[in-house]
Parts: sequence; structure tokens; C-alpha cells
Amino acid sequence: MPEKMTHIPYYPGCTLKSKALGYERSAKDCARVIGFEMHDIEKWNCCGASFPLTKDNLMGLAAPTNILVEAEQHCTERKIDAQLITLCSFCYNTLKRTDFAFKEDPGKLKTLNEFLDRKYHGNVKVTHYLEYLRDVIGFDNLSKMVKTDLSHLRVAPYYGCLLLKPEKELGLDDPEEPVILHDFLDALGCQVVDFPGQVDCCGAYLIMRNPDKVLELSHKILDEAAEYGAQTLVTACPLCQSNLDQSEVVRGEMPILYFTQLLAIALGLETEHHQFDTHCVDPKSIVASCQKFKECANAK
Amino acid sequence: MQINTENNQTALRNLEIATGETISDCYQCGKCTAGCPASMDPSPSLLIHLLKLGLFNQAISAESVWDCMSCLTCSERCPKNVNPAAIIEGLKRIHLNNMDSEINLHSLGQEFLAHSTQQAVVSGFRKFV
Ligand code: SF4
Ligand code: SF4
Repeated sequence: MPEKMTHIPYYPGCTLKSKALGYERSAKDCARVIGFEMHDIEKWNCCGASFPLTKDNLMGLAAPTNILVEAEQHCTERKIDAQLITLCSFCYNTLKRTDFAFKEDPGKLKTLNEFLDRKYHGNVKVTHYLEYLRDVIGFDNLSKMVKTDLSHLRVAPYYGCLLLKPEKELGLDDPEEPVILHDFLDALGCQVVDFPGQVDCCGAYLIMRNPDKVLELSHKILDEAAEYGAQTLVTACPLCQSNLDQSEVVRGEMPILYFTQLLAIALGLETEHHQFDTHCVDPKSIVASCQKFKECANAK
Repeated sequence: MQINTENNQTALRNLEIATGETISDCYQCGKCTAGCPASMDPSPSLLIHLLKLGLFNQAISAESVWDCMSCLTCSERCPKNVNPAAIIEGLKRIHLNNMDSEINLHSLGQEFLAHSTQQAVVSGFRKFV
């Protein structure tokens, strides 16, 4: 266990506190082992989930701006660098794009500050958990912390849309040929299944209007992953997880995991409260197939 | 966004101001449509074509705008830096400002909502209500 934990302000968002609790718990547990502690910012509201695409829609920026103000205050009070870590792709996209919109057009920031009667200074660096692992911890270092043999496991990395697009504003990775999840899985020691559907849309919020279309799109992604030999698929987005998982009930038996759930297994953590049992397709067999190195015949 | 759709030219101009897009930039290469996973009919490039031709009412009455899921594939790939997803969202908002919501929340049912992620419900409110 590292001696001193780095304090990282964290924005959970609505889904992480309800349907995707297993995602949050596994992420927080892993962070503690890796050497940082995620602290929920004191007051937070829903970010609005979808970033408003029309430029004149300033109302849609009010909710994320409030969050950025809270994050900035949280960091100022503690005299730490202004940053905010997120897990959900939608929250990440909305918060980072809001901050970008202000950098691009300071007039918008002025309007929002006046409207909210608060002051956002534009200093918060919005970071995705994956990005933190890659850029601050380093995947090389992460691989040294792995305690479980995953070498038998064929895992498909699934990115979806909002973690990567628009590239100009998010700058996390290439939106067409991303590697961050590939490299993450590589660091955990599993077999990475590179498949064409990795950046295709699962249907997202269309689930509210046309669930059949969402199931069709998700089905196609999973068919491809299976064709390329995946046993399981990892994602960073609760809506992707939910859409793919529900589609899988009809299609096959591939468990859909959050990347942090697999990370928890890799780090040899107790995964009991990571809510694997709330997934439609039970990942029990995958979890059971992973054994700690010392328990293997060829222990390292 | 309040757009009077009676005068095509004014409506188009107002849509451009609201979305921040220049519709005439599109040179109809069809790349947006080629990558669109929503099988929209009319397609994103055809919707933009209708707007360019001044057929504003045809564009806003197209059912296909509701099939878009804002995946941003079109916007990311457009070689002319047009953002079709934003234009489509602009068309949706004209509808929502003038008419009833596109989904009936009461008809979704308690069980459906209980299984939904919060982010889907909130996005649904933003895009369809
Ligand atoms: S990709 Fe861009 S330029 Fe090509 S048709 Fe679509 S909007 Fe027009
Ligand atoms: S944002 Fe909409 S129009 Fe553009 S590719 Fe995605 S679904 Fe198609």
C-alpha cells in the first residue's frame, strides 16, 4: 500500500450513484491500492448528461458550470491543483466540453457566471479515470501491480462515442483508431481482442424512444466482438454497459464489464460489493476463471 | 431558439445562428451519411441538401431527425468541418419549441424506467421533450 494517498476530487454523476454503483466502487477500491483516493466533491448536481450541440443553448451549460465551480472551490480550499476525475463517458464529455466552450468563448463564461451568480475561473482540468491511469500512474507501473493471471482471457475493448468525440475538445485519444483501452488491457496481461465495432455507437439515449433500434445496434457490436473471439467486453460508459448487456440477454452470453471491475480482479481485490450480480449476463464464470498468481501452478 | 419557419431564408439564417454552423459549407460528399449508424432516411447529408435548396419545411418535418443519437461520427469525419449532429439537434429543437414532446414519458412505464440508466432518462428529456 502506498504511503501517502494523492487526494483526487471526483465527480460521480447520477448513474454512478445508482445503476452503476459497481463501477464506482471498483474504481475507488482500485484507486486506493494504486495510490490515490477519490473524494466526491461536496455538492454536486446532474451534469445534464448530453452536452448541448447547438451553440446558442447556454441553459444546457448551467448544470455543468455549477459542477466546475464546486470542483474549483474544493481544490482551492485544499490548496491542490484544480482537477476533477470522472468515470462516466457522458459526464466526462459534458464537463470537458463545457470547460472548452469557455476557453473558446470567454463571453459565454461571463454570461454563465452572471446567470448563476457564482464564479468559475476556468481552471479545472477534467480528467477521465483511464486518462489518469495512463498519464499519471502509467500503464507500465500499473502492470507491476497485477496480482491475477489474466493471460487466458480474451477481452474486447469497447470505446463507444462520447469518451473520444469530438477529439478536438476531449483530446483523449484518436477517435477512429483509439489505443487507450487496448493498452490498459495489455497492462493487465489479458489478450486484447481488436475488433471493428469498438468505436460504433450502441444506440445511446435512443433507448428512450426506439429500444429495438438500440438492441439491433448493440447486437451487431457484440456479434463482431464474439466473431473476433472475445469472451468478455469492457466499457467505460454505464449507458453502453446497459444497452449492450440488455442486448446480450437476447443474443448470447458475453458478460459486459466495466474496465474497473476487471482492474479490481487483476489487482486481486475483494470484488464482492462490485455488483457483478446486477449485470444481466452474469460474469461469474469469467471471475472464477481468474486466479491469483500465487495460486497458479506456475506462480511468478 | 424561436424560429419562424414561414420565410425560408430567414429561417435558415436563424438556424445557422442558433447552431453556429454554415450550411453552405457542405459540399455534399456524403461522408456523414456513409458513417451514420442510425440508417436515417432522409440521411444527414440529404437533410443538409434540403436546407441548402431552401426546402426548410421539408427538412424540419423529416421524421429521421428523431433517429439521430448524437454519436458525433458525422461531425468528426466531415472534411468541411460541418457539424451535421448540431444541425439535426437544431431541427429537433425547432420542433420541440413549437410542438408537443416527441416521447410520452408516461407511456414508458415504471418497469422500463427502473431498468434505465439515469443518464439515458436525462438525455431523453433533453433530446425528446
Ligand atoms: S460530410 Fe460534411 S461536407 Fe460531406 S455531405 Fe456531410 S456535412 Fe456535407
Ligand atoms: S450524430 Fe446522428 S446523424 Fe451523425 S452519424 Fe450519429 S446518428 Fe448519424
